[in-house]
Amino acid sequence: MLWIALHCPTLSLDWIERRFPAALIPAMAATVRKGNQVYIQQANKPAQQRGVMAHQPLASALSLFPDLVVVENDPNEEMKALQEAAYAALRFTPHISMQRSGLIAEVSGSLKLFGGLKKLCQSLNQAAAAQGLQLCVGIAPTSKGAWLLAQSAPLRAVINGASTRFRLLLDSLPIHLLESAQPHLEVIRGIGCKTLADLQRLPRSGIARRFGPDLPTELDRAYGDSPDPQLWLEVPEYFQQKIALMAQVESVELLSVTVQRMIEQMCGWLSVRYAAVLGFSFVLHHEYSLRQPHKSTLLNIRLSEQSDNPEHLMILLRERLDRIKIVAPICGLELIADEITAEGNHNLELFPTSQSEATSLNRFIEKLSCRLGPQAIAGLNIIPDHRPECSQRLQPFQPLEASKANNFSCRKTILEGSSHPLTRPAWLMDTPLELRMQRQQPIYGSPLKLLAGPERIEAGWWDDALITRDYFIAENELGQLLWIYREHDPIAKSNGWYLQGLFG
Amino acid sequence: MSTLVSSSLASPLSLLQIETQFGDRIWRGDALGSSPDQVVSSGFNELDKALPGGGWSTHSLTELLLPAEGLGEIRLLNQSLKYVTQSGRNILLINPPHIPYMNAWENLHIDSRRILTVRACKPAERLWVIEQGIKSGAFGAVICWLSDANPQAMRKLQIIARTTASLVFLFRPVSAQFEPSAAPLRILLSPARRHTLSIRLLKRRGTPVVLPIYITLPQIRPFSSPVIPIPILAPA
Repeated sequence: MLWIALHCPTLSLDWIERRFPAALIPAMAATVRKGNQVYIQQANKPAQQRGVMAHQPLASALSLFPDLVVVENDPNEEMKALQEAAYAALRFTPHISMQRSGLIAEVSGSLKLFGGLKKLCQSLNQAAAAQGLQLCVGIAPTSKGAWLLAQSAPLRAVINGASTRFRLLLDSLPIHLLESAQPHLEVIRGIGCKTLADLQRLPRSGIARRFGPDLPTELDRAYGDSPDPQLWLEVPEYFQQKIALMAQVESVELLSVTVQRMIEQMCGWLSVRYAAVLGFSFVLHHEYSLRQPHKSTLLNIRLSEQSDNPEHLMILLRERLDRIKIVAPICGLELIADEITAEGNHNLELFPTSQSEATSLNRFIEKLSCRLGPQAIAGLNIIPDHRPECSQRLQPFQPLEASKANNFSCRKTILEGSSHPLTRPAWLMDTPLELRMQRQQPIYGSPLKLLAGPERIEAGWWDDALITRDYFIAENELGQLLWIYREHDPIAKSNGWYLQGLFG
Repeated sequence: MSTLVSSSLASPLSLLQIETQFGDRIWRGDALGSSPDQVVSSGFNELDKALPGGGWSTHSLTELLLPAEGLGEIRLLNQSLKYVTQSGRNILLINPPHIPYMNAWENLHIDSRRILTVRACKPAERLWVIEQGIKSGAFGAVICWLSDANPQAMRKLQIIARTTASLVFLFRPVSAQFEPSAAPLRILLSPARRHTLSIRLLKRRGTPVVLPIYITLPQIRPFSSPVIPIPILAPA
C-alpha cells in the first residue's frame, strides 16, 4: 500500500477565497470562538500585510484594519470544499478517504498508469491545488503515517516517506500532530516526551492506562503495526455541483478558473463511475430582483461523442460561454451531468487509426459548431431527383463508419443506375443566375459559345416545382465551362438564359 | 575540432568526396527537391514530374492561384481527392465559392459522404477553421478558398500543416501571386485551350520552372445527343 496525504492547513480561508475571482480577493480573516472571546484563526496575505495575525482577538484586528472581511469558522463549508477537491483527485485513484482538513489517497494501483510516484504525486497535488486549496503533501506506506508527514510539512512542500527512512522520519515528528494526544498535550510534554520516538519508548500498558487506549492504537497505525480500516469517499449517483460566488461577476473571463474547477470535478466523478458524459448543462445564476427578472441562463451542451476529457469539455464550454451575452451579474454557477453513458474501452493508440480519426473528426465538428453555430457545418446528401435544386440536401455531417464504407461499390451502381453517368458540373449556383443578353447571345464575362446540348430536364410535376429546361454546356473567353439552361416553354416563349453551374 | 581543421587544411575535400561522404544530407540547388513527406500523385504525369517528390505533398501548404472558378480546378485535384476518399479519409471544404454538386463529384469517383463543407464568413474565422481542420488530423485533404490572407497567417498555417499528414490546398485569387507566402508550392492556373489547363509553378522546392506545363483534363462527357444548332442564337 502506498498513501499520499494532502493536508490543507489554510482550509478555513481557502474555502471562501476560492469563491472569489482571483483578482477580487479582499483582506480576509477566519475567526474562531473561544469562550466568550472571538479570535482570529487565520488571516490571508492582504490582511497580514495590514498587521492582522493569527491568535489576535477580533477587536484588535478590526482596530488595525476596519475593512477586514471577517469569516466565521464553518466546518460544513470547509468539508464541501474538501469534497470538491476530492472529486478532482478521483481521476487518479478511486480510493480516497476524507480527513477534517485534508485527503488521503491510496495510490498503489495507479502508479504505473500515471508514470510513477513522482509524476502521480505531482498531478494529484496539482489537481487538488487547482481547486483553490493550499496543500502540503506526505507520502508513506501507511495512511496515518502519510497524514502525519503531510501535517508536519511546510506549505506546498512534499515529504516523501516511501523509503526505508519512513520510520526515522516518523520518529522525529512532534507529539502534537497526533489527534488522540490533543487533550493530554500538557502532561505528555511534562513527562519529557517531544517526539513520537519518545512516546514509543514508554511502556504500552502505562500509556493506555494514562491517556486512553486510542493513543497507542494511533501510534501503531502510523507505524503500520496494527490494521487501519478506512472509510472511502463515496460519490453520488448523479452529478450536480453548485457554487455560489462571493462577487457579482459580469465577465466570463473571470469565471474561467471556477468553470475549469467544476469541469475537473465532473471528470473525476465520471472516472470513478467509469462513465463518460454525452450531454451536460451549465447554469449561470443571476441575482434576482424585481428590476432584474432573469433568474438564470441555461447552456445545454451536447456532444456528438462521449467524452471524459476535461480539456475537451472545457473547450466546448468556453466556446459557448464566449458567444453568450451576459444579461445580468452572475452570482452562482451550476454544472449538471445530464446524460451519462458507460464508457467504451478507449485504448491509447500509438499510431492514428480510423477509430481515432473518427474521434478527432467528431471533436472537430463539436468545436466548430460551438463557435460558428451548427448550421455552418454540413455534409451534402444526394437525393435521387433530376432537378439540380432538389438533388441534394444539406444535413448534419455523419462520419462514415468503416463497415458502411465497404459497400461503396454497390452504392455506386445504385447511384449511377444502369446507364452511364450524367454530365453534371462540380459547382452549382445558389440560385440560377439570369444572364445578360447581347445581340440575343448570353453573356457571362464575355459572349458564350455553346459546346454541347441540349439536354432536357423535365421533372417535378408531382410537387408543384415543375421545371422544363434545356441545358447546354457553354464556354466563355476566359475558358470557364458553364452549365446554362433555357426554359422550355412552348406557350410562353421566354428567351432568358440562366447560369446553373460551373464545371470545376 | 583541431584535427578536423588540420585535415581540412591539409587536403580540402573534393566535391565528389563531399557528396559521397554526406550523401542524401546534401541537396543541390539545381536538382529538383525531393520531398521527405508522403506525396499523393496528382494523376497527371507531366505535373508529377515537375512536383517535388512526384506529387502533391502532404505536411505542407499548396497554394493554387485561380483567376475564376470553373476552369477545371476540381478535375485537376480529382485523382488525389479520389485517392483520399478511397483510402477512407475525409475531405474538408472551407468556404467553397458555390454549392458543390455532389452528383458531379460522385462521377469523379469522390465519395460524397466523406465531404464536409464549412461556411465561415469572417476571415479570422476562416483561418481558425483551417487551423482546426489541419490540427484535428481527421481529414485527408483540407481545401479552402481564401481570398485574403496576410503572410503571417500563411506562415502560421504552414507551421501547423507540418504536423499532420493532410493535403492542404488553398485556392487564392491571381492577385495573390505578388504577395509573399510561406507555402512551399505555389501554382498559377490559367486555361489554355478547351480542356487544357496551363500550370505555372511560381514556387517550388528545387529549380524554378520558367515554362508553364500544359495538362489535358479529362474531357467532360458531352450529352448523349449531339450538339444541334440553336436557331435562337443565330443573329436575327
